Amino acid sequence: MWTAVYNSAIPSFYLNTVIRTFPSGFRVAQVCFAVIGLVIVGWTADWNSPEQHLAKKIAAVTGPGAVALSLENRSSLGKRDAEIIQNGLRAVLEALGLRFVKADHAAATVTISLSENSTSYVWVAEIRQVAGDAAVVMVSTPRPEGSSVARDSVPLTLRKTPLWTQDDPILDVAVLDENPSPVHIAVLAPEKISLYHLQGGKWQPEQELPIAHQRPWPRDLRGRLTLARDHLFDAYLPGVLCTSTAASPLTLNCRESDDPWPLVSGTLNGGALAVFPSAGLSSGASMVVPQLRAFFAPTRNFFTGAITPGTGKFTTVPKFYSAAVLPRDKYMLWLFAAIDGQTHLVDGLNDQAARLGWGSDLASVKTACGAGWQVLSSSADQAEDQTEDSLRAYEFPDRDPVAVSPAIDFPGPITALWTESKGDTAIAVARNRETGSYEAYRVAMACGQ
Amino acid sequence: MRLIVWRWLAVSSLLIAALALQAETRPQYGGTLHIAVHAVPTSLDPADSLTANSFAGRNITLLMFETLVTTDDSNRVRGLLATSWQASSGNARWQFHLRHNVKFHDGTALTAEIAAASLRISNPSWKVATDGDSLVIECDGPDSELPAELAQSRNAIAKRSLDNPIGTGPFHIVDWQLGKKLTLTANEDYWRGRPFLDGIEIEMGKSFRDQLTALELGRVDLVEVALEQAHRVSLEGRRIVSSAPVELLALVFTRDAQASEERSLREALALSIDRASIRSVLLQGSGQATGGVLPNWMSGYDFVFSTDADLVRARHAREQVRTIPTWTLGYDGSDPVARLLADRIALNGKDAGLALQLTSAGTSDIRLMRIPLPSADPWIDIAEVSAICRIPPAKNKSTSIEDLYAAEQTLLTAQRIIPLFHLPVSYAAAPTLQDWNVRPDGTLTMADVWLRSSKP
Repeated sequence: MWTAVYNSAIPSFYLNTVIRTFPSGFRVAQVCFAVIGLVIVGWTADWNSPEQHLAKKIAAVTGPGAVALSLENRSSLGKRDAEIIQNGLRAVLEALGLRFVKADHAAATVTISLSENSTSYVWVAEIRQVAGDAAVVMVSTPRPEGSSVARDSVPLTLRKTPLWTQDDPILDVAVLDENPSPVHIAVLAPEKISLYHLQGGKWQPEQELPIAHQRPWPRDLRGRLTLARDHLFDAYLPGVLCTSTAASPLTLNCRESDDPWPLVSGTLNGGALAVFPSAGLSSGASMVVPQLRAFFAPTRNFFTGAITPGTGKFTTVPKFYSAAVLPRDKYMLWLFAAIDGQTHLVDGLNDQAARLGWGSDLASVKTACGAGWQVLSSSADQAEDQTEDSLRAYEFPDRDPVAVSPAIDFPGPITALWTESKGDTAIAVARNRETGSYEAYRVAMACGQ
Repeated sequence: MRLIVWRWLAVSSLLIAALALQAETRPQYGGTLHIAVHAVPTSLDPADSLTANSFAGRNITLLMFETLVTTDDSNRVRGLLATSWQASSGNARWQFHLRHNVKFHDGTALTAEIAAASLRISNPSWKVATDGDSLVIECDGPDSELPAELAQSRNAIAKRSLDNPIGTGPFHIVDWQLGKKLTLTANEDYWRGRPFLDGIEIEMGKSFRDQLTALELGRVDLVEVALEQAHRVSLEGRRIVSSAPVELLALVFTRDAQASEERSLREALALSIDRASIRSVLLQGSGQATGGVLPNWMSGYDFVFSTDADLVRARHAREQVRTIPTWTLGYDGSDPVARLLADRIALNGKDAGLALQLTSAGTSDIRLMRIPLPSADPWIDIAEVSAICRIPPAKNKSTSIEDLYAAEQTLLTAQRIIPLFHLPVSYAAAPTLQDWNVRPDGTLTMADVWLRSSKP
């Protein structure tokens, strides 16, 4: 069994050659072409090793002489790769003394099939000689891990910026510091909170804080990281509350807790945060949203519906997955994505249920666009071949939603959507259907596009 | 221009609301899943051979029991009740470290002693010992496939007592009416998290026709679909999901060929079978014709085994023999398509000058068999089919594709089996059933299943 070998470019050698030979302006262009070329070459698999092995096995059966060679691609390899392999095999076979002729003049016919199984490419050569039965020789070479497909981007008013990807579920991501883009993040996973900082353009691990919990987590585990005023952050998980210390190196204290989770994030309800002191009340007193907290079912994936201190006359609403707030002049309009698929619009006096065809994840963002507040909602149909989920921004001029942005696609179902602490962006986590990994994005609104 | 954009957005939002009636939602807890199956398991013990040798039996086992390790869709071994493992002595000695804080349904903690006792029952020939919190399995020789073998449902860890065996899985037994109905409820303390479903009810012994009727009437949520019905059911717009081809339909001779003349007759039979016609007419296009034991998705070389009928060569082989015996061809009388298949094979044989007499009785010279391949690991399947054919399994289990091919060739050269088709396993589900899937090996992934609320 061979290990997959991919062309390893030798950039320093290549670039040095270019730089030594040409004047500066041309050098830059050459370097660019060289880099692009190296990237393209880097994507091309090196079939040399399996070609050599299969050719030797074929030659061991046929010996040197005239053969008729044909090749059939039965695998997921593209036409280009199949041609490269065919040419490579012919070259090696010729070097081993085989000559290629038509079947009529051949001492043997060699039919090569490029096939595959669940883990490897399997190349099979069926050799028929004038005398004797057909011989079968074969080699296998591991298939590369699936890679995600790059997608074309189109102008959007909602923009997503990749923050972090990992195989373990991501429940939430908190940006701890930015300049102007995130340089310090905390990633909430089922068993730990990981801190990373950006160094030299790469995220470097900084610290891992295990999450202690007695009971098994419920399925479809959810959790939220909120930045705090007198310490760095709190992590809310079903039945568990973890509190960090204020200074590095951090420690994490986790305890069983039924404390309600905050529904209004960070600075939106006034005050300043330890990490973003300038983002607090400076946004204006008129924008302060009273804090509302909700109790999360410790063995389920939803909020129980009990809210504190309540909104207007309501201290309970139907069980819900997520909530968003839209401040009005004289009241707060709360939207709850209930577990029965309906969206409840609660203004303090009325609870109006509507079936909007939205997903179960909502988040509100306060922006400088449109009416100033938008609701982000996941939405995707349940077709069997559906591979993507999407997110779209809505406003509520009255009680009916109006889409204010085209949808942006995610590479799989959105598993978490939380408003960030500064309130103007949201964290969306999607599970990539191709790779199975979890991808966290910052979602921001862009005006006038 | 701005007005037009806003109008477009308003209209599009209404359209989206109208079209996305089934919006993406988080999994919902609650509800009872109703399943119907054709099989009639007589035991819930994972080690019971009848349970282990049917897809329904394996699926039922995996609802209640768990194995030390499992395999993912790419056939890589992953930890389950074992968190880590290592081999020594050239893959002849394996040590598996158990996961902590796992409990059986009766609250007993999973221990190495219980796990070892369980494996000794499912594999009486194994040498299983304990070493603290770990299990040590000593093999007779190098066995790189042992982790894959442990991923088989028949090696699920069970705590056995006088009553039904109990496991550590996501559901536990509430009621078991032998051969009729199994009622399960969610394991609230399941170490991987309580299942979304409150419970599962499995009705057994239901014909495929009755299963589809029950699905159409909304009495069940998940049913098996017979091979020959799969195409029609999908045309009717039902949600149908099929596995990779994981079942081998084959003719198995009940004894070795006694003389060269008998070998010629077996070759004549193999060459006479018109798989293409059988597939298009009797199997309604389902399955893949094969001349090999392993499906191509597992081996990558199945196409080298010819599937074409060759009556000229078949007659030539038959003419090497003076006296033609009449073979009895046995088939499963409870399988509605088996009789038709056996009938067609007998006709094909007759075209080559062979004589085959059909029987649904237990004893016969040749048996038309459906062999569920137990694993996505090709070596385990080769061993399974070898055992059915009573041929010593290949010893040289390596990662070399040529060794695998050689082992399969050895099995076929013995002329105890004539592979015919590789068949998938198909299921149909109600639209309310969510996040269910069929793994390549034909088992259902049920732990994450949930039922979408049907309320308006």
